[in-house]
Amino acid sequence: MRELSFEGTTVRFGTGRSALTAVDGVDLTVPAGSVVGLVGESGSGKSTLAKAAVGLVPTTGGEIRLDGAPLRTSRDRRKLQLVFQDPHASLDPRMTIGESIAEALPGRRRRAARTAEVARLLELVGLDPARARSLPSGLSGGQRQRVALARALAAEPEVVLADEITSALDVSVQGSVLNLVRDLQRQLGLTMLFISHNLSVVRYVSDVIAVMYLGRIVEAGPADAVLSAPRHPYTRTLLDAAPAFGVALDDPVPADDPRLDAEAPSPHDPPPGCRFHRRCPIGPLTRPERTICAETDPQPGAADRPHRAACHFATDLMEVPAP
Amino acid sequence: MGRDQWRAALRNPVGAVAAGLLVVLAILAVVAPILWGDAAEETDPAALSQGSTSEHPLGTDALGRDIMLRVLVATRYSLGLALLATAICVVAGVLLGVLPAVLGRRAGRLVTAAVNLAVAFPGLLLALFFAVIFGVGARGAVLAIGLAGAPSFARLVQTNVAAVAGRDYVAAARVAGVGRFRLVARHLLPNIGEPLVVNATVMAGTALLAFAGLSFLGLGVQPPAYDWGRLLGEGLDRIYINPAAALAPGVAVVVAGLAFTLLGESIAQVVGVRAVRRRRPPAADEPAAALARAAAEPDAVLVADDLRVGFPAPGGGWTHPVDGVGLTVRRGETVGIVGESGSGKSLTALAVAQLAPDSAHVTAQRLEVAGVAPLGRADAEVRELLGTKVAMVFQDPMTSFNPSMRVGRQLAEVTRVHERQGRRAALARAVDRLRTVRVPAPERRAHQYPHEFSGGMRQRAMIAMGLMSTPELIIADEPTTALDVTVQRQVLRLLEDVQAETGAAVVLISHDIAVVGQLCERVVVMYAGRVVEELPVGRLGAAAHPYTRALLASVPDLATDRDRPLATIPGRPPDPADRPEGCAFAPRCEFADDACRVRPGLAAVAPDQRAACWHPRTQPLDLALDAVPGGSCDTDRRWGAEGPPEPSVQGVGRLERVRDPLHDPTSDRGAGGQA
Ligand SMILES: Nc1ncnc2c1ncn2[C@@H]1O[C@H](COP(=O)(O)OP(=O)(O)O)[C@@H](O)[C@H]1O
Ligand code: SF4
Ligand code: SF4
Ligand SMILES: [Mg+2]
Repeated sequence: MRELSFEGTTVRFGTGRSALTAVDGVDLTVPAGSVVGLVGESGSGKSTLAKAAVGLVPTTGGEIRLDGAPLRTSRDRRKLQLVFQDPHASLDPRMTIGESIAEALPGRRRRAARTAEVARLLELVGLDPARARSLPSGLSGGQRQRVALARALAAEPEVVLADEITSALDVSVQGSVLNLVRDLQRQLGLTMLFISHNLSVVRYVSDVIAVMYLGRIVEAGPADAVLSAPRHPYTRTLLDAAPAFGVALDDPVPADDPRLDAEAPSPHDPPPGCRFHRRCPIGPLTRPERTICAETDPQPGAADRPHRAACHFATDLMEVPAP
Repeated sequence: MGRDQWRAALRNPVGAVAAGLLVVLAILAVVAPILWGDAAEETDPAALSQGSTSEHPLGTDALGRDIMLRVLVATRYSLGLALLATAICVVAGVLLGVLPAVLGRRAGRLVTAAVNLAVAFPGLLLALFFAVIFGVGARGAVLAIGLAGAPSFARLVQTNVAAVAGRDYVAAARVAGVGRFRLVARHLLPNIGEPLVVNATVMAGTALLAFAGLSFLGLGVQPPAYDWGRLLGEGLDRIYINPAAALAPGVAVVVAGLAFTLLGESIAQVVGVRAVRRRRPPAADEPAAALARAAAEPDAVLVADDLRVGFPAPGGGWTHPVDGVGLTVRRGETVGIVGESGSGKSLTALAVAQLAPDSAHVTAQRLEVAGVAPLGRADAEVRELLGTKVAMVFQDPMTSFNPSMRVGRQLAEVTRVHERQGRRAALARAVDRLRTVRVPAPERRAHQYPHEFSGGMRQRAMIAMGLMSTPELIIADEPTTALDVTVQRQVLRLLEDVQAETGAAVVLISHDIAVVGQLCERVVVMYAGRVVEELPVGRLGAAAHPYTRALLASVPDLATDRDRPLATIPGRPPDPADRPEGCAFAPRCEFADDACRVRPGLAAVAPDQRAACWHPRTQPLDLALDAVPGGSCDTDRRWGAEGPPEPSVQGVGRLERVRDPLHDPTSDRGAGGQA
């Protein structure tokens, strides 16, 4: 397993008025053998970043490297494998699951060797090898997602990218897929970029958490640190909004402030200065003196702030005392 | 296309007739030339250009050859040429069609443009053009007809390939390093086979007709060879002497052409819109009790007793995805329904709102919604009665809005239909309601189309639509599943406010028990089409049914121990057609024993709490109810020394007051029509 790194990765779609920058100069490193969790709202560019890594969308700028060596050819990219969100859409309905997995095996092998390898992979993801001959239509969502994982592993990847792999599943099934991901990661020492909009899910599997907003990473750091002492107001807003037992909706959180915008701005037309400023509970809409937020982009200099936070006021917050 | 679908195509009477005809034609094509080939060439100088006689039932041609035999023998040539032309068309079309997928972006676009240009060119003109190039004769005609049809076939392939190429499994294969050609052969073509088969069949019919046309014009088959088109041309010269000589080949062309086209159409029907077969429900299921009128529970907005929703099963009989649900919702109450997908949550809601699909059969011992017993009434009457009293909010509001109608007008429509308001007043009210649900710049937004709204905004608009009248019951089916946590929180708070302001009851359906726990007072847990537990939210920590407990334990939260595996529920919910006899949860339940072979009914396990289980659990669950480090209650700590910024005026701004139109003189309702 090796290290995956994004350096100033940029992806632009469209031209003219419909142009939008879905991923905007992302710097992110997924250290070998560790899991980096990527959270953010839908449309923030998480999927696009993953697709850019595997070559499903072309990048407009920056470099994506594996152990420092830039990924150029499709052969290089095969070392990265992507697992998709919807297991009902990601398996060819006309191929048996064995065929789907075998297709991803690198190199030429004899039939017997392929069958044996497919059986081993199915076993690895907790499915009966006899299932190799069934069609995806006979499998439940959770089982299909296991097949999708097996197919990704079949390609003998250096890095696995998992894009919302549990969000199409029932919570009861989500647990078993998360357990599997965690087991596989520990057993095989996988390097993984784990994308989800659900903080609790990301927290369960990740060593590092990166938070994405409107195409940029606004905060990144060790999972515990990011969750217990978030440095970017957006991360805090996400944490405040996560549903939890025993927390009433009535308890207002800072983001409920009526002076703030309720939703993310259009990615076609991101606001000037800090992209979060129209929703920021401690930004210029609640503290008029903070004009800098609406004028100066906090991204430059982020690397020097705690958690590489893209916020002018990330260091102003005092250390949070231990509970 | 599965074997069943082929069979279904043949079961359809039109399809069966067409297929039968084609079989007859195929047999003729094989045997006619062998049996009568020589006889059809035999000239009879004694019987030149005769009409119908006993020896020659359809007469003879100018050389004295028997026309009936010639028509029969020509079957092989006519069909053969048509099929050959079709084959050329299909092969050329498929090649051109998949080319963009194989080539790079730019070259692909070039091919697509070229094909589009060729499609715009009239087919017959193209055929004539090719006929000139390839020379007059059968070979030229086959190439001409085949190639003339290729562009439109290519475009068909292109559109279908483009649709399939966008699917995740193709992307997955690409990421796995599958080559372009293999991608086309293994993933793209097999998945567009159905429309191609249909169109190729129809194409064969068209080719047959086109061929007859060319031969008739003298551009096709040349003597001494002959096909139906040429026979038709020869016969037409003498139509006044012997009409049969022209009619017979003409009929042959039409019948064969129709047979192909009709077969194609009936396959298309089976493949495409699978005809909904309505079956009469079993007589025993008739809702005799459904009309029962009861006045008990005066404050109930919804009373459902033994609600069942059945569908005709594929193998005959009925399956009941909702199988005896009992549900009571009081005025102003918020009730959450949770359960895995397939447990019947949505169908229950749809049945209550009288929105179940046409093929569904809804029965109940008793069903009353907002004081109305809808079962057994006519659709129009139910809509009239319930239209303003029940509001539905769906997971994907995009599917519930008309994409081609401005949002404001769609909202206005509601009151115009139900309360016969004037257009201006209705529109003003729509804007007012959009403002109520905090859609920014509501006047401008009202003039936009649904696709111009973001997901959260559409969901608000959907709720605003429910508020156009004064609903007594709001049913929200997974209203926040497609939304992000921050937007989810806003939509839930909006629902809560609407509930508080209007006094409407809210039924919230969700697979996420944490979401339900946040908004609702009472939770109803469904499993395999039945209610298995019902309890106040405050007692979730004391859930008694093993299924409820498993659901609660399987959700990771911000305090879950990362070093321990998550709790899971082994197995999967039973298929509605194949539920176990006793407790439906037994195969997945760690506490199941012999007693569970008998179905448990809902029984009280505590005041306000009922569970359908023989062995209800009594130990409290460790839900870490309010000790979630880093959880929402931790706001103060999270915002650090700065302290959580206080919202300027707590609560205000979430929802502007929903005015009661009857008591509020500023309401536009008084201006528009009767209040
Ligand atoms: N092929 C595409 N063409 C144009 N815009 C796109 C395309 N794919 C994604 N986008 C846009 O890029 C942005 C980021 O999307 P995405 O990466 O899917 O976000 P996420 O995965 O975080 O939900 C969105 O605004 C989305 O609409
Ligand atoms: S830079 Fe200003 S607006 Fe942006 S997140 Fe920080 S405080 Fe908020
Ligand atoms: S009745 Fe039996 S099988 Fe069903 S949930 Fe209770 S203990 Fe389990
Ligand atoms: Mg995504």
